[in-house]
Amino acid sequence: MKRLTRKKQSAGGFGVSENGSATREPDCGRKQKLAEIHQALISDPVDIETLRRTAASKGGLLTDELRRKVWPKLLNVNVYDLPHKPGRDVRENHKDYNQVLLDVRRSMKRFPKGMPAAERAVLQEQLIDIILEVLKRNPQLHYYQGYHDVAVTLLLVVGERMAIAMLDTLSNYHLRDFMDPTMDSTKHILNYLMPILEQVDVELHDFMIRAEVGTIFALSWLITWYGHVLSQFKHTLRLYDFFLASHPLMPIYLSATIVLHREREVKQTECDMAMVHHLLSRIPQDLPYELLIAQSQELFSQYPPSLLAKRAALQSRKSLSISTFQVFQLSTLHQRPDSVLQRLTKAQGSTTSRHASRHSGLEVALPRDRGQLWGQGNRMVKMAVWGLSATLGAAVFAVAQTALDWGPDVLQQLF
Amino acid sequence: MAEGGLSVEFPGSLKSSTLPPPRTRIFKIIVIGDSGVGKTCLTYRFSAGKFPEKTEATIAVDFRERLVEIDGENIKIQLWDTAGQERFRKSMVQHYYRNVHAVVFVYDVTNAASFRSLPAWIEECKQHALGTEVPRILVGNKCDLQDSIQVGTDVAQQFADAHSMPLFETSAKNPNGQGDGSFGGGNSDHVEAIFMTVAHKLKSQKPLVLSQPPVGSGGTINLSRGMNGGGDGARSWGCSSC
Ligand SMILES: Nc1nc2c(ncn2[C@@H]2O[C@H](COP(=O)(O)OP(=O)(O)OP(=O)(O)O)[C@@H](O)[C@H]2O)c(=O)[nH]1
Ligand SMILES: [Mg+2]
Repeated sequence: MKRLTRKKQSAGGFGVSENGSATREPDCGRKQKLAEIHQALISDPVDIETLRRTAASKGGLLTDELRRKVWPKLLNVNVYDLPHKPGRDVRENHKDYNQVLLDVRRSMKRFPKGMPAAERAVLQEQLIDIILEVLKRNPQLHYYQGYHDVAVTLLLVVGERMAIAMLDTLSNYHLRDFMDPTMDSTKHILNYLMPILEQVDVELHDFMIRAEVGTIFALSWLITWYGHVLSQFKHTLRLYDFFLASHPLMPIYLSATIVLHREREVKQTECDMAMVHHLLSRIPQDLPYELLIAQSQELFSQYPPSLLAKRAALQSRKSLSISTFQVFQLSTLHQRPDSVLQRLTKAQGSTTSRHASRHSGLEVALPRDRGQLWGQGNRMVKMAVWGLSATLGAAVFAVAQTALDWGPDVLQQLF
Repeated sequence: MAEGGLSVEFPGSLKSSTLPPPRTRIFKIIVIGDSGVGKTCLTYRFSAGKFPEKTEATIAVDFRERLVEIDGENIKIQLWDTAGQERFRKSMVQHYYRNVHAVVFVYDVTNAASFRSLPAWIEECKQHALGTEVPRILVGNKCDLQDSIQVGTDVAQQFADAHSMPLFETSAKNPNGQGDGSFGGGNSDHVEAIFMTVAHKLKSQKPLVLSQPPVGSGGTINLSRGMNGGGDGARSWGCSSC
């Protein structure tokens, strides 16, 4: 009954590409991929198809530097016209403020291990701001616990202002169903899981039905794009490359792939709700991600959502994420390369001057009340991080992140 | 595995290191209450024997379990640690209310709003067909934060009495008290004692018997000492006020 072939992951090879066929040389693969991505980025219009394909194929987008260039393109974000840094008022009278605060304060594990506490504290404050900012811009969207796991992933890679732009788009498209007033739409998306399993492995499907395990074990995977459950940030990034380039239902196909990957374990477990839930909700940290990604794509093309949607359980409700996906994809087709965007934006009167007319630069860089909020941390570091992300934009912020590995002494040399 | 995450741990304090024989009885306990009151910390302390250094927001539900021995019988205690955010209650957590043997309501003694939410949580339980016939206890957490207490013992006790539940004030962080005996139970881990009390109650399957708090004092119900050594389940459910 098993139609999904379980391929062994070849240790160094390029493995299975997104259509499950091509195999490339491991060594020149990376170089070739870098060249391909760069070429796609400078094409006019930007070659979004290539960017999507490379983001999903083995190794994903390879480096954070490339992610900062490609991620915004995948979401049709103009990096030369980013939203302003949120003002102090973003926290005022927000119904979700307390919940966001509580969740972000507890999200220590999402930050790099070696990061000094003072820097983490700055980023946590930014995280609160960007979440509230996006919610404020979109009153129709509702915060859910786990949204902060998505936001932190973006913040750590692209910096505050670009994170706002990306989160805004994601929330209106890919994450849209999760942000309804209730979680009924989310449940609807989860309902795709069992039908996928049924297509591939009826035995496993029936076992899980008998156990009455439900699908809640995959809820945190789905709504955080696995950010909540993976302990290694590099794995989260790899999956974000994949999901940013894919259909909004792809995270559920990956869930199915993970369950199928653990088929033997599952079948050996006592056929009991608690036991199976427990087994499945603990995601193994050593999953063969490249293999699973390729298999998810295979599943997606073999059993596309439209095919599954014919099932009764999936007909009752309409998913906004799914129904708007085509519009979203179309919107990404006509993007200009960054060099052109930069010229165009300059010609219009640059964002920085518009920015300056609204705030005086320094005030934005280091709001006094927050400076006090952080207590006795390393003042210099705070200034550095604020300065970087607020005034110089995400690009420089990003350089500091990668090149300096968060060392406060090195950051100080910058200023 | 991450610390705040799912864990099955069998600390050595109770006889528990071997796998349960097939016929081990399972007690399924659901832990509910507002976000941030410390449900994850309490259940983690019971299953792992310590306060988690870092917890994270619980999404939908986490599962923890621990094997204990009561009166010579091995019993598996399953704790379902639920998400506090309202949106998860209705459609998501539903599934996990099924076949629950006991309910632990948690509020944060330093957060009056979390106490005011309790009627809604009780209502939630009723809607899932968990009424007064199912053993229920009320836990006021974070007692270590003596200086920021917003919910006094007397009002909590009144509420607990009105709903026929025993009240336990404790701290997941420092469950042995600060040496002043204000909420601790001697050398034993108070959080462990609370869950064990529920387990004893379930094992005995006797109706909930509460001792009356002294008139006017509104005393907190405290665990009787020596309860950890097993003994009569029904007696250990009986409480002494402090
Ligand atoms: N001082 C003190 N802090 C505690 C105690 N228990 C929990 N906390 C803290 O309270 C915060 C919330 O604890 P959690 O256990 O994550 O709360 P929760 O009820 O599981 O919250 P949700 O998962 O959002 O529903 C954390 O920062 C804990 O460190 C306690 O007994 N004393
Ligand atoms: Mg929790």
